[in-house]
Amino acid sequence: MSETDLGRKWDRCMADAVVKLGTGFGLGIVFSLTFFKRRMWPIAFGTGMGLGMAYSNCQNDFQAPYLLHGKYVKEQ
Amino acid sequence: MGTQVWPLMRFLIKGSVAGGAIYLVYDQELLGPSDESEAALRKAEEIVPPAMYQFGQYVCQQTGLQMLQLPEPPKLNFPVRESWNSGIITVMLALSMAPIKPCEYSKEGWEYLKEHAK
Repeated sequence: MSETDLGRKWDRCMADAVVKLGTGFGLGIVFSLTFFKRRMWPIAFGTGMGLGMAYSNCQNDFQAPYLLHGKYVKEQ
Repeated sequence: MGTQVWPLMRFLIKGSVAGGAIYLVYDQELLGPSDESEAALRKAEEIVPPAMYQFGQYVCQQTGLQMLQLPEPPKLNFPVRESWNSGIITVMLALSMAPIKPCEYSKEGWEYLKEHAK
């Protein structure tokens, strides 16, 4: 794996972690406010889920070095 | 009748807010592969700052307050990432050469002593 590929993978991992953490945190807040009477555990649960999903994605990305990342273009 | 309808209304409102949040996450594929998350983050980086600026302008217009103009941050032309990378590479190279270099230096020193001892 070249240095640029490694750097790109790390950048993708960091961006993915930020998005998933934020999403998990946000969903946790929504559910905490709507259904769980402003308790802390849905927020912690959502944040933890997001972090775990990001970690899993990063792990797959680093362990599959020959997988190409492409875009699927829908037929028009 | 009103006391019976209000809890149902409250549940429906909460359900629609939570359902809307879940649908938004599903639609934007925020919990999907890392490519989609990266694209979503880039989209957010493009959209959010101008939207925040316009919102600030709107609030200032409505309230009559003036937005504070912060001075521009100093632009640093120092490439932190490249310096860090080259620093790491230099350190690792030096560590990998560490066992070989003393042998070379001692060999050179020995040759030097032999020449001078003749």
